[in-house]
Amino acid sequence: MCKKIINGINARIGLDDLIENRLKRYRITKGTNIFYTLGIVAFFAYMLQAVSGYFLVMYYVPHTEYAFSSTQVIINTVPFGWLVRMVHIVASNLMLIVLFMHLVSIFIMGSYKKPREITWIAGGLLILVTLAFCLSGYLLPWSQRSYWATTIATNIPTAFPVVGDLIANILRGGDNVTAITLNRFFALHVAFLPPLFLFIVGLHMFMVWRIGLSTTPFGEHAGEKEAWPESKRADYKSSDPFIKSSYPFFPNFVLKEAFMISVFLAITFFIISFFPTIFLPEAANTPADPLRTPAHIKPEWYFLAPYQMLKLIPNKFFGISIQIILVGIFLFWPFIDLKKERNILKRPVLLSFIILLLVVWAVLTIWGGYS
Amino acid sequence: MGSINNLGGVLLRYLFSALIIVALVLPASADYKEIFEKEFLNQPWGGEMLAESACIECHSSETMDADLQKIPQEWKTSWHFQNNVSCHDCHGGDPSDAGMSMSHQRGFTGSPKYAEVPDFCGKCHIGILSNYLQSGHGKALLFSGTGPNCVTCHGSHNIQKANIDIIYGRRCTQCHSYERAKVIKQALFLTETKMQAIEDNLRKLKADGVILSEEEKTLFRTQAEFRTLFHTVDVSLVNESTDKFAKILTQLEEEIKATFDELRFRRNFSAFLSLLFIVIGVVLSILSKTYKD
Repeated sequence: MCKKIINGINARIGLDDLIENRLKRYRITKGTNIFYTLGIVAFFAYMLQAVSGYFLVMYYVPHTEYAFSSTQVIINTVPFGWLVRMVHIVASNLMLIVLFMHLVSIFIMGSYKKPREITWIAGGLLILVTLAFCLSGYLLPWSQRSYWATTIATNIPTAFPVVGDLIANILRGGDNVTAITLNRFFALHVAFLPPLFLFIVGLHMFMVWRIGLSTTPFGEHAGEKEAWPESKRADYKSSDPFIKSSYPFFPNFVLKEAFMISVFLAITFFIISFFPTIFLPEAANTPADPLRTPAHIKPEWYFLAPYQMLKLIPNKFFGISIQIILVGIFLFWPFIDLKKERNILKRPVLLSFIILLLVVWAVLTIWGGYS
Repeated sequence: MGSINNLGGVLLRYLFSALIIVALVLPASADYKEIFEKEFLNQPWGGEMLAESACIECHSSETMDADLQKIPQEWKTSWHFQNNVSCHDCHGGDPSDAGMSMSHQRGFTGSPKYAEVPDFCGKCHIGILSNYLQSGHGKALLFSGTGPNCVTCHGSHNIQKANIDIIYGRRCTQCHSYERAKVIKQALFLTETKMQAIEDNLRKLKADGVILSEEEKTLFRTQAEFRTLFHTVDVSLVNESTDKFAKILTQLEEEIKATFDELRFRRNFSAFLSLLFIVIGVVLSILSKTYKD
């Protein structure tokens, strides 16, 4: 019966051919380390967010009167609602860590260089969309923490002369964070950002598929004279040097990816089990009270570094301008770093720069957390 | 290819030029912290609700008498503050209008005289006032004008959440021997201890993200009713009612215990899932080694 179904599908869409030519004949260069799987782990985390988010939306009420209480209903009344919500919260934070590791590993391995500039830009845009997801989703429980953190975040655009207030008012739907803001952020979170994300992630994955994974610049398998695009891969010969130093995408590489996804899930459930409040401090369990400003308002950990930077830079317009310029440099980095050398160990200036950047980021984050 | 390289160079130049222009046009000012706090933390984006009331503003000013000046600070540490009870809720007046804030037309009553304090607090604490007036304390104040009023035990602006420790030797012996107070403290002890334990557990659950609103309301009602009753200072009445309160509190304890059991289940269930994915990971890792590159 099962075989009949498979044969039926095979006759119609050529399943064997797909597996043979698109999965098994798709080659991955030897020397690909565990960091090469981070992209798919991040993608899996996104999908987990989509699925858990879908179940949350079933019970969540985007209204200031009911937002917090509906979240409580999800946790306490809906069967296994607590698990869905915790997965949504914990996996979103872990996803950011995975994305960050993916970004740093791509940078260190020089995988953004020609012909992968578009892949890099799409990846950079994905990080910005993810942060927009985080910001918009953060307000939805309408807790004391989410209310005041959003109040600060939506005030940041006012630093811009002329259009600043307009941008802030469009974001909030008024001078303050109100029910209108909640509706706008909810619409952004569940209706506007997902299709945008799917479009960019589609482009990102298409580029990875089309050009192929980059090789590592380190070790015995180092070097990539030229990319091995899909067109070349389709009619490869076993004598090709690339084939000699490569292995099939399926099942070899897929198993590595599945292993990393298992690790991701194991860590997610470990945190839910033993550190359930790590991303949910007490202010997150208190309903929003616009009448009472908490003593210490802080954004989430991933916004602490830019927040602390804003505090340290004398003029807030200057501070925000610098951050926008830095984002611009980050997005267009492949067009700025034009040297062909991919091995960062042979580029001491770039190596020092990235180490300095990471240290500064870490210091600002810790400083922001304790200031 | 050449055009892409050129594009990179052009972009780099534009980005750094923009950085330098911004740096030159907007010179740094030394008082960035004040600017940040002023522009980011105290902007009207928090709404007019954040604006300080006229009462706080005047009482905090340098020109105010030292005794009156410390009132806002005391109030900010109080239980009233934590529960959004502000100056005008007790004293009347209009905190939004400095000129008319102490106008009698706007309901300003000022500070009550000693004997008026129970009525002053009793505007909100109605049940307690009625029980207090029936008590020896209330009668003493009513007939001699010298008995203890609310402030004698609870203080005024720095009023704290009341608990059984409010009854203690030095305070009670200002007027009479401690023996009588000790008897009533013993009568209160079990119920109070139970209520305190329930309150602590509800707080722990809240920190874990589980808010039992109904249970919180029941506890609040029970505490209020029990403490209202205490203001009669009638030991036999307290003893008679203890069973009724004990029943309610036992039910609350059971509900809280069930919630803790549920939390334990959640922890074990997610630990099981974590273990499951560790096992799956190990299997996948072994499996991947069986395929030759």
